[in-house]
Amino acid sequence: MTLTDRQQLSYIASQAADARLNVELETEGMTLNIGPQHPATHGTLRIIARLDGEQVVWAEPVAGYMHRGYEKLTEVRTFPQVTSLINRIDWLGSFANEVPFILAAEKLMEIEAPPRAQVIRTILFELSRIANVSLFLGDLGVQMGAITPVFLAFRDREYILNLIEGATGGRFHPNFDRIGGLKDDLPKGWIQETKGAVKKLEEFCDTIDDLLFGNEIFQSRMRGIGVIPADIAKDYGLSGANARASGIDWDLRRDQDLPLSYDLADWKVWTHPDGDSWARCWIRLQETRESCKIVGQLLDQIPAGPVMTKVPRIIKVPEGEAWVATENPLGEMGYYVVSKGDLGPFRVKIRSASFNNISIVPWALKGVYVPDIITILASLYFILGDIDR
Amino acid sequence: MGLVDKGRLPAPLTKLFNLSRSYSLWVYQWGLACCAIEMGAAFGSPRYDVMRLGVIPLPASPRQADFVCVSGTVTDKMAPAVKRLWEQMPEPKYAISMGSCANCGGPYWDSYSVTKGVDQIIPIDVYVPGCPPRPEALLEGIVLLQQRIKNEDMAAKWRGDEFTTLQRTRAMEAGEVDREGELISDTRSISDEPMPEVAAAHPEPIVVGGGPIE
Amino acid sequence: MAQLSDDTQTPQGDTAPAALPGDGLREGIVDTLRNDIGEALLDTLLKPNDDLWVRVSTESWLATGQALKAAGFTYFCFLSAIDWMPSPFGNSQDDPDDEPKQIDMTIKQGYTGGETRMQVFARLTDIDRHVGITVKADVADDNQVVDSWSQLFAGANWHERECHEMFGIGFNNHPDLRNMYLPGDFEGYPLKKDFPLLARMVKPWPGIVDVEPMPDFEEAADAPAAEAPAGAIEGAES
Repeated sequence: MTLTDRQQLSYIASQAADARLNVELETEGMTLNIGPQHPATHGTLRIIARLDGEQVVWAEPVAGYMHRGYEKLTEVRTFPQVTSLINRIDWLGSFANEVPFILAAEKLMEIEAPPRAQVIRTILFELSRIANVSLFLGDLGVQMGAITPVFLAFRDREYILNLIEGATGGRFHPNFDRIGGLKDDLPKGWIQETKGAVKKLEEFCDTIDDLLFGNEIFQSRMRGIGVIPADIAKDYGLSGANARASGIDWDLRRDQDLPLSYDLADWKVWTHPDGDSWARCWIRLQETRESCKIVGQLLDQIPAGPVMTKVPRIIKVPEGEAWVATENPLGEMGYYVVSKGDLGPFRVKIRSASFNNISIVPWALKGVYVPDIITILASLYFILGDIDR
Repeated sequence: MGLVDKGRLPAPLTKLFNLSRSYSLWVYQWGLACCAIEMGAAFGSPRYDVMRLGVIPLPASPRQADFVCVSGTVTDKMAPAVKRLWEQMPEPKYAISMGSCANCGGPYWDSYSVTKGVDQIIPIDVYVPGCPPRPEALLEGIVLLQQRIKNEDMAAKWRGDEFTTLQRTRAMEAGEVDREGELISDTRSISDEPMPEVAAAHPEPIVVGGGPIE
Repeated sequence: MAQLSDDTQTPQGDTAPAALPGDGLREGIVDTLRNDIGEALLDTLLKPNDDLWVRVSTESWLATGQALKAAGFTYFCFLSAIDWMPSPFGNSQDDPDDEPKQIDMTIKQGYTGGETRMQVFARLTDIDRHVGITVKADVADDNQVVDSWSQLFAGANWHERECHEMFGIGFNNHPDLRNMYLPGDFEGYPLKKDFPLLARMVKPWPGIVDVEPMPDFEEAADAPAAEAPAGAIEGAES
């Protein structure tokens, strides 16, 4: 087939145009938007990442899609009413949110819960940690593309939710902790039930260890990814398992003196020297096992006695300021409570763990590849209510 | 289906279509807050197993979904995204509002940043009250939605009429429309004074448990 | 069970808490800080077996952070602000039928005193010595700006953004003081005491019905400090 002159000329012209274009072409960056509603973000976090090819040049989380104004609302609630609000900050481990606030109020009022209430508080605190972290372990699989672990997590988490419901009446938001003790005593047969459920959860941990942590794909996507050194972690105020995975030996359950019963049990604080995504997930798995151990031991040591100390029916907290932080499932959660002697607090500063934990994201995502965004976010583990408050 | 396009469908065929529609519902999970976990428990866990009701909880995008389950607090910053999601969904579409926050603001009724009810943004078919509702309550909401779909006049819905069966019956009783659904009087003429979109396009919502929406 | 993680299991520490910080340690910290920043240390409060508060001058806010970081407080906990003005709307929990209460609008600061309406405060922790410290500084009423800690503690970046958004306090040398939570066109600073919650203005507080006298109210009234809020109780009984 021969070409006409006209065709040849147009071919040459088009080649020249292509060549011009190729010279002018530069590789342009691309902006990738993840969220605000994305299965990998545990809520409504939005991540804007600027990409060069497959690598992240710059990334920023956009929070605020779940900002509900807790700190303002606490100023127009009475002290007992505040607990029903702050339950909903970290919605997977609700009971754990109440404890530091109640302890801060008790500190200001200079009262202390009776020993029985303290032990039951500790048990419920650890149960909510198990409920929280077991869902994290299941969700971890989903974010790597494995569906099965999340079914297992939802199945076994129900045992814990049933226990929490049995004791407190609420599956999700117990609102059970009171200034001066607990609302109620444990129901009959609860201790025996709990022993069985804790065994099931220990089996769940073993299954996840086999299924997920023993998986080669999982390891290769996690090990050496998203390394956070200890000094950077301290700078950003990372806490909980994220800090311990960077080798910071810091656990508020052990390292401070609060009226909780952790010294009655024999347990370990796990740390890991690597600081990568794998370490963070692995620490959480070990902590779930430790929590099961703590609960198992404390169940045998619940002392007799009342669960509520004598407090006035209408609670006025004396003037003062108090800071109480506890080791919540997500990390250090603290309340800085300022009271002016009124029915409600004057100001409550809520220091939530995820806010600090996620502020490291712009640093941690710099230079990583796109698939690693998801694993790093998953391993940092945040809950939106805990970031935005 | 030309019959549907014409807006006239024999009753048995309507029944058949409605039956198949109600048992192959693809739901888009718009989980926002605490309720998202209970929704996950209802949709993703072996204990509650929503698929036995004929609901498929895993569409990849709102464009494939038949109904959306808005669960959790809608904030003013999130509201535009919810609206856009709703507009992306193909007709016929339904919405379930799950939890007190999505219904009316819930415990954040006095907050400066929370939208007091998702029904300000999108029309809601079923309200599921609770904070958060148990998974069983959500399942009941889905069953109620399925009953509604079964009783629907599909042709009217697909024609984009502002009346559904229930409303048309009422309108006929009130003498506003004739049997074909044509307006008799011009009191409700859309060209003159547009009806509020939500109220016109949607039948009255169902509340699980029957109480007030709180 | 496949234990591929054996090589990395490095349990450290144990349940026995390392000696908890005594008040002697806290006094030492105050002395160190006084050496470093001198006159700028305005006031301190040490509550025995509880906690340590210090207040420094606004100009030395950054220098205090540096001194504390050098003294071992390397863990950044939080930074925020507090508006000491009493809310002009009360606690919004009064019965709307009652006489409006007179609100005492005198500004009274908390621990370690202060002279201005706004204060910034931050908390730092020394992880090795297991001790924490709360640092406060006044924010001038006419010029609500303090130095930024974001170069010192990277985590302070977000906390200062939040603080700016909620209180309108500016931070010198902060890289990026954008809104964090609220839409860009949001007006006002929500955590200021004079920011009204409109829903409460429109709708009376529904919780008033909660304060009904209980059957055992007579007993409870004997307990100390059980003074009922006069307005609320009377409102419920009427």
